[in-house]
Amino acid sequence: MSAPQERRAAVTGIGVVAPNGTSTETFWKSVQEGISVLDRITREGCDHLPLKVAGEVRAFEPADMVEERFLVQTDRFTHFAMTAADLALEEARLGRADTDAEPFSVGVVTAAGSGGGEFGQRELQQLWGKGSRFVGPYQSIAWFYAASTGQVSIRRGFKGPCSVVAADEAGGLDALAHAARAVERGTDVIVAGSTEAPLAPYSMVCQLGYDELSRETDPARAYRPFTDAACGFVPAEGGAMLVVEEIGSARRRGLPVRATIAGHGATFTGASRWAESREGLAQAIRGALDDADLAPEDVDVVFADALGVPEADRAEALAIADALGDRARRVPVTAPKTGIGRAYCAAPVLDTAAAVLAMEHGLIPPTPGVADICHDLDLVTGRARPAELRTALVLSRGLMGSNSALVLRHGAA
Amino acid sequence: MSDRITVEELSELMKKAAGITVSPAELEESYDRGFDTLGVDSLGLLGIVGELENRHGAPMPPDAERCKTPRQFLDLVNSALPAGA
Repeated sequence: MSAPQERRAAVTGIGVVAPNGTSTETFWKSVQEGISVLDRITREGCDHLPLKVAGEVRAFEPADMVEERFLVQTDRFTHFAMTAADLALEEARLGRADTDAEPFSVGVVTAAGSGGGEFGQRELQQLWGKGSRFVGPYQSIAWFYAASTGQVSIRRGFKGPCSVVAADEAGGLDALAHAARAVERGTDVIVAGSTEAPLAPYSMVCQLGYDELSRETDPARAYRPFTDAACGFVPAEGGAMLVVEEIGSARRRGLPVRATIAGHGATFTGASRWAESREGLAQAIRGALDDADLAPEDVDVVFADALGVPEADRAEALAIADALGDRARRVPVTAPKTGIGRAYCAAPVLDTAAAVLAMEHGLIPPTPGVADICHDLDLVTGRARPAELRTALVLSRGLMGSNSALVLRHGAA
Repeated sequence: MSDRITVEELSELMKKAAGITVSPAELEESYDRGFDTLGVDSLGLLGIVGELENRHGAPMPPDAERCKTPRQFLDLVNSALPAGA
């Protein structure tokens, strides 16, 4: 993305539907105060499962946000995506009339890991309970990874380039990078991000095979990365969509450039091979900084992947040290996701939203519920730390082996 | 349930299978409008056909899901139901 091109990608709108807030304002308030909303899972049909704690989106009524004709053909993860896209477009002041005037100038890129499990389960129960004649035709599209990209573009009438990134949790960052490239190639606006809804019985059973999943039943102890008490990660639902827009387009519309997507790097080191992720994540960081034409000294804050598995936490701390050198000992690191949970592909997109907001507010949000760090990191805990932030580095690793790093710059710098 | 399929039943199924609210009275006024302009897409119409087949215990004509308007649709599916059964 550092190629000598005139066109650069900015963030001009953020839409969040998260366990700790269903608007950008409530999300940021909760993140900067370090509030944890991890709690016992209350979703129907999940009581008997050995996964007890998650980040549930409770303040969300799909029927208030999405038209019925779209509700009947979509899963909860797409309800989140349509809502988050609306919120982001509203922040970016892109109304229906604006995008209808130039429908080919707006595209959609999402990443998805969990798909439409709740919808899929309902239809599979029809299949095995009553027979194939009782499976609704929307099953053919609703549980598919691509559903949110398709439905957001159809619902808003967008005709620009659309894509879906299926690259593990780190795919959330890859989707934002893909959106930035689409903007650099000539599309003015890409609505990009990820939302997930993995807290339905079928989806939860699928996750039970992950060794990295926390089985802790006490919400206050379930997700404590970078400590001796780390016992895995807590899953979450929800996510965020961003309006990624060409800087010139934003300026023509008189809109402030909140941040630029300056660089991206991605590597692959194999499923659950956490020791190897050290080298992969370090290489992704170096790639992202090179891409942004920045040096380790320029990084003002790191939003960590923070898996909560001792071997993985160690690998991440070492990767930061390997890639940032001397800067690693001084750069503040944070992981707001310990208060929200990891919403799979949406986790790094929520981190990106938090990073943009952190730069705007000059405030590094803390890592909720975490104290007594056992790694050589300056992890921000307790309360938010004021700091002048020009460059943020967001890290993500997937359970299947993907590692990604995204560099954001404050404003149009 | 082997009576003729009425405009009331079609209205109810459009809501259930496709999430489209059109009252029976409005639907009668829209008899010759395209399903697409009413907001029912091809998968929505397929869902309506499937629901009718399950309710009436009889297969609908293979062209039912290709009908363009409510009038075409009701004429076709009613012609396929066993008369007075």
